[in-house]
Amino acid sequence: MVEVTEHTRNVLLEVAKKRKIYVEGSFLKILKAPKGDKEFEDYLALCKEKDIAVRKKRLEVTKQFQSQNKDLVAKQEENDSLMKDLQIALEEAKLSEQEAEKLRDDAVEDLELMQKKTQFELISTIVKVALYVIIGVGILTTVMYGLALFSGADTQIIGSTWSNMFGILLTNAFSIVGTIMGVKYATEKD
Amino acid sequence: MLIDDEDLFHLVFEDACSILDITLSLEALNSSDEADKLFKSWFPDDPNHERPECVFVDLNIIGSSFNGIEMVDKINHEYGNGCVIGIISSSDDHQEIEKAKKAGAQFWIIKSDDIEPRLEEFKNDYDGYVNKTNPFKIYK
Repeated sequence: MVEVTEHTRNVLLEVAKKRKIYVEGSFLKILKAPKGDKEFEDYLALCKEKDIAVRKKRLEVTKQFQSQNKDLVAKQEENDSLMKDLQIALEEAKLSEQEAEKLRDDAVEDLELMQKKTQFELISTIVKVALYVIIGVGILTTVMYGLALFSGADTQIIGSTWSNMFGILLTNAFSIVGTIMGVKYATEKD
Repeated sequence: MLIDDEDLFHLVFEDACSILDITLSLEALNSSDEADKLFKSWFPDDPNHERPECVFVDLNIIGSSFNGIEMVDKINHEYGNGCVIGIISSSDDHQEIEKAKKAGAQFWIIKSDDIEPRLEEFKNDYDGYVNKTNPFKIYK
């Protein structure tokens, strides 16, 4: 403890009276009034009272500030967490979109394939029918020509007709067989 | 001495201690590294250097190389003890409290908005900690 000199004591008391300035802080705790100096004892007690009042006020403000700061930090953490969730949700949405796009592409591809297959099957049927018709006509004409030959009838017209028709039918038949092979090849490849 | 990373708590603690007439002066440090440097400089080169009478260490000191319990352990076992030491934390985790006890902490004060009653209780028990007669205590 520091016992103040008379000069210091008087200066401190005067400053307090005239200018309302009081000793404060840790230094106040080590000051000691001279024995029996009631006036200075009262002065030190007043200083302590004022110091405690100021510290209490500051403590309250600091606590409020600390509490607000904690709230802000908590809200910031909450925001960060929400942002993280949002980011994850966005990434998931992006992935879902990509997946959906892939499925759509696959579906379109499947549809195109089915359409192609149907078209090829239709073409194949038409071509087959055409081939049967050609073969049928060929057989019919040949039979008629054969009958004419065996019956001894005039075969000049039917003969030239048969040869012309057979030539045309053969040409068409080859073309049709070619088409069938092409269709088959395309269908198998898909 | 107070070792705590939160500056606002330095102010709260200093004012609370001053109002309760617990401290004459308080040295508040932000990291255990700073405290470690100080203790290292006092020990063993200058073991007679005037150390803080009491050290309050936060449990989780963000930005420090080691936590409060490790700091307590260092002061007690590497730097020759010589002061009342304990943890001040908002946590009341039983395992951490046990660890602190093993490290040589003499008390555990739980931080909250209303810390003054706990500090006042601690002040009343203080002499027992100085004499090492008080058992470990949690101030809730």
